[in-house]
Amino acid sequence: MTTLVPVTYKGGVYRHDEIMDLIDDLGGYIVQKHVMAQDVVLQSFVPRDDIDLIRTVAKPLAGDVIEAPLVGTEIAVVSPSLEIHHLPHTACDIAEYLRRSGAKTNMIGLARGFGKRIANLNDEERDVINEHDLAVYVLGNFEECIEHKFPALRRGIQVPIVVTGAPDRETLARIVDPPVEGYVGGVGRIMHRFKRPEELAKLDELVDEVSRALDARRDALARDPLSVFPPRLMAIVEEQIPEVTMLTHPTPVTAQMEGLRVKLPYDLYADDVRSLDVTGGVTVGDIADVLPSRMRNYILIRIKPFSETRILV
Amino acid sequence: MPPLNYFVVESPDPVGREAYERITGDVLQDLDLIKVIDRLHIYVDPKVPIFIAAGVLRHMPRSIRVGDFANVNPGEKLIVLDIGDETYLAPLLRELWAHYGKENVDQPDRFTIVLPAGVVGEEELEQMVVADPSETLHKDIIYALQYIAPEGFKVRRQYIKDEKFYYVASEDTLPGDIVETMVVPIFAKMGVTL
Repeated sequence: MTTLVPVTYKGGVYRHDEIMDLIDDLGGYIVQKHVMAQDVVLQSFVPRDDIDLIRTVAKPLAGDVIEAPLVGTEIAVVSPSLEIHHLPHTACDIAEYLRRSGAKTNMIGLARGFGKRIANLNDEERDVINEHDLAVYVLGNFEECIEHKFPALRRGIQVPIVVTGAPDRETLARIVDPPVEGYVGGVGRIMHRFKRPEELAKLDELVDEVSRALDARRDALARDPLSVFPPRLMAIVEEQIPEVTMLTHPTPVTAQMEGLRVKLPYDLYADDVRSLDVTGGVTVGDIADVLPSRMRNYILIRIKPFSETRILV
Repeated sequence: MPPLNYFVVESPDPVGREAYERITGDVLQDLDLIKVIDRLHIYVDPKVPIFIAAGVLRHMPRSIRVGDFANVNPGEKLIVLDIGDETYLAPLLRELWAHYGKENVDQPDRFTIVLPAGVVGEEELEQMVVADPSETLHKDIIYALQYIAPEGFKVRRQYIKDEKFYYVASEDTLPGDIVETMVVPIFAKMGVTL
């Protein structure tokens, strides 16, 4: 079986459809396509053995194929509030940098996440964060505050968490109890754009930390694989529900590690999604839970593991 | 860091202290307040929790007059104002309308204002006060301190009068004598009596 690896293709608009066709023909999937003026960025999964072929085809088009560890993941960047204290610099720079590595990031500004004693997380915020593959908590400068507020901010969160803050990594690891999946120290509340080399190095460290946390999850998934590979289901949804292509969202269907977020109203489309034919009479409803998302009125598809369905497509 | 005559950030947490030094620098730079503040002392202790900023301003900027940014050219029938800097154009127009009526104030293009001769003398027009930057300065300083302080510190007491200002904030209720017990000693460190 060919292994699909996450890569980013960067190139010009000119003849980029050839690259898209090539990826499709090789059995790969494009999970996200961005056209920015003259440039095209494709976040995709391609067979490992064929990366060189894509490079060769892309060479005359001045295109480049880069490994992007976070393609096909949806990451929540959680900021204690949407006030000027926490935004835009730290949270936006982190979100943007994760996006460059292929992730789809959503920024979540908590309603009352600020303060040491008064920090809170409400049920909607908790549920929205739990719909992601991983949450990056962008916290502040004081060890004392992080120690006190973090238990409140993580209450009920089941997805892996990476914490950033001004104290160094060891201090963060010491004060966060029980431990989380990743720590990046030396970030904190920064009131300017990340531009110095040491600040950019921190962002690279964050990407490494996030990929490490997600790799652990991937390993667990490899032991009990999903009934269908999410990007494959994404292709099926896009092909069979034409309304998806009419949405103006940048990612009308968002691929996650264990499912999809379909940005169509749940009430109107949930049954259509459930009855979609995946292959040979197997429907989406057989291999996945189709749930209402807490994010607007979207549909959340959670793919069940093989051990539960005994189906692998 | 800003060329203030005195700038100290004090905190029991060394990492936080350094971070607040940079935050303060960035905020003051962003809001263009470095030239305005002469001395600034910040004390922040998340354990209490308390945030205190106390400081002294440099002398206030003087009022802006028409002559500062425009040439007044009196003619036989008309007085022509040649605008050099548009920053204060809007308040200038407002002043002129209020004094001489909209029908007498004509603006044929962006940088020219025409008044009929005789409504006002050249000297008087040049000396007309258009804006007072110190009015908004107080607001800007309080905003900057609010911006620097940790966000959760919502309970606050602020003061700005003449050249001295302080800003005290906490997550909990502030004790009634906080100014006497904590702010006055900080001013003393800067060699100022509140």
